[in-house]
Amino acid sequence: MGLHHRTVTVASAAGLHARPAKLFVQEAVRLGVPVRIRAGERTVPATSMLGVLSLGASQGTEVTLESDAPGAEDALDALAALLARDLDAEETLDA
Amino acid sequence: MPDQPADAPAMRPDLLDPRAVLLHESAADRAEAIRRCGRVLVEVGAVAESYVDAMLERENSISTYVGEGVAIPHGTAAAKEVVRRDAICVVRFPGGVDWDGERVTLCVGIAAKGDGHVPLLAALADILLDPERARTLREATEVHQVIKELT
Repeated sequence: MGLHHRTVTVASAAGLHARPAKLFVQEAVRLGVPVRIRAGERTVPATSMLGVLSLGASQGTEVTLESDAPGAEDALDALAALLARDLDAEETLDA
Repeated sequence: MPDQPADAPAMRPDLLDPRAVLLHESAADRAEAIRRCGRVLVEVGAVAESYVDAMLERENSISTYVGEGVAIPHGTAAAKEVVRRDAICVVRFPGGVDWDGERVTLCVGIAAKGDGHVPLLAALADILLDPERARTLREATEVHQVIKELT
């Protein structure tokens, strides 16, 4: 299987904070594939809201998603695509 | 600030006014708890009155519960224009508040114009990931304890 990873830049204007972080974590939980997210020296499970918040990733921060679980490629693609969108700008669409 | 080390969050001490720390509040439900937080942010001059409704709107769109009995109510992106200065408030509800099925005893209300509060959230998350520090924060009875933990 090996370790798969995607590096992506956080697009949300307010960073990977409360709302974008929650949407990201919800999607990671929904996908059910163990994925870890790394920013700088810190790596946390993508399903941990507190972990993701603790990354302190602002807009433009480069983060890396990694997984060696079955289904990793699709899960990483989905989560990377989410981070590459400005989830704050989309707020009015789904509020 | 992509070059800033993500593992060394630092909370700006000016974000938390001692008057914005309330440790013995009670609220019948989530909306009342959020309004209490919003009122504190209005009282310390951080936001205009309309921010309170924006906090309720945000909460209805997606829960701000983060874990460890803590929620972080804050306004919508559109409400940033009524934020006068970045600030947080800490409001403790010792009796607990039902938060969409979770029990919340501590709210950290947030008013932020840009992404200045992201390090602040990271620092808070760091505290909450440490069960001992999380408990100290949840059970704090003195304002200075809270300020010491958070800043």
